[in-house]
Amino acid sequence: MASTIASRRLFHEYKLLTSNPPDGITAGPVSEDDIFLWEALIQGPDGTPFEGGIFPAELKFPKDYPLNPPSMRFTSEVWHPNVYPTGLVCISILHAPGDDPNHYEKASERWSPIQSVEKILISVMSMLAEPNDESPANIEAAKMWRDRREEFERVVREGVRRSLGVS
Amino acid sequence: MSDQQQTLSIPSLLLLAAFTALTIRYFFFTKPSTTTPRANPRGANPADVEQVVTMFPQIGRREIIWDLQRNGGSIAATTERILARGGLDAPPLSFQPPIPASATPSTAGTSPGQMKPAHVDLITRYNLSSKISSPLSTPSDGTGTGSQRGSQTQTWSNNKNERQALLQRRREEMILNARKKLEEKERQQLGQRT
Repeated sequence: MASTIASRRLFHEYKLLTSNPPDGITAGPVSEDDIFLWEALIQGPDGTPFEGGIFPAELKFPKDYPLNPPSMRFTSEVWHPNVYPTGLVCISILHAPGDDPNHYEKASERWSPIQSVEKILISVMSMLAEPNDESPANIEAAKMWRDRREEFERVVREGVRRSLGVS
Repeated sequence: MSDQQQTLSIPSLLLLAAFTALTIRYFFFTKPSTTTPRANPRGANPADVEQVVTMFPQIGRREIIWDLQRNGGSIAATTERILARGGLDAPPLSFQPPIPASATPSTAGTSPGQMKPAHVDLITRYNLSSKISSPLSTPSDGTGTGSQRGSQTQTWSNNKNERQALLQRRREEMILNARKKLEEKERQQLGQRT
């Protein structure tokens, strides 16, 4: 029962995202046979070292969506303080209201059923532009971002070029 | 008194015998059996890996080993995934399986310094190499073809397969446009320098 609600809601969100896609975002189920697994492409925000890059990510939805948030994982290389080396994205909108191990996130920033895939993707896009070094998921990247900004930007730009096969 | 001791000592003798047996077994018989099991305790079968590599030479061995390991060594499942998604998930950085020296991909370590997972670029992953038009002939992003105009207006279809195809096309366009833009930018920068 819960999973029919979830798939209906996901289908609805898919339709909205497709008919009226936000700038620089393409998202949808990998295959409609499994509406709980999506792939999203996020364009790197302009004016940041991520500019011009396309970052694919995988979203996995729980069967009780939208009560609980999906998990999101970049499937390409993303050198960023809030992205684990495995690609897993760590931002507050992806955290259920209940679990806040660090107690720094406001409840309003966290996941709730009134949020949506679109909001997640937009938040992730702005996370790319503005890392949050309060909760580094990639310690090395966070240190580099803080102390050696130029090197950080160079590494990110190189990643962008490599991912688009331009060398 | 001695009767009581007698009754106690039979089970304890048995226990002692069992303990000794286990100890002897532990010291003398388990060693060979613990060293022999599979050479790679949680690795994928190298023969399976080879089979997938021959089918999809563009996919890195590391990704293949990772995927096989996660799905319990099913070649069919890995193949299915590659066909369906055009590639495999990148394994975490900490995952460094022993890869035969001859087989290490030439793309590894293209950039110095940072940790570099051997990611497949998007062009390879989405199988777009045939769709990269020659950079000089199309200087601005694809406004040429009529079908692309059409896709701008029609994004949603009530037919499941059509929807899937439309989404696929939007993904491809996004990647190809990004690549074109980047190439153009590079050319401009080169032009400025010379």
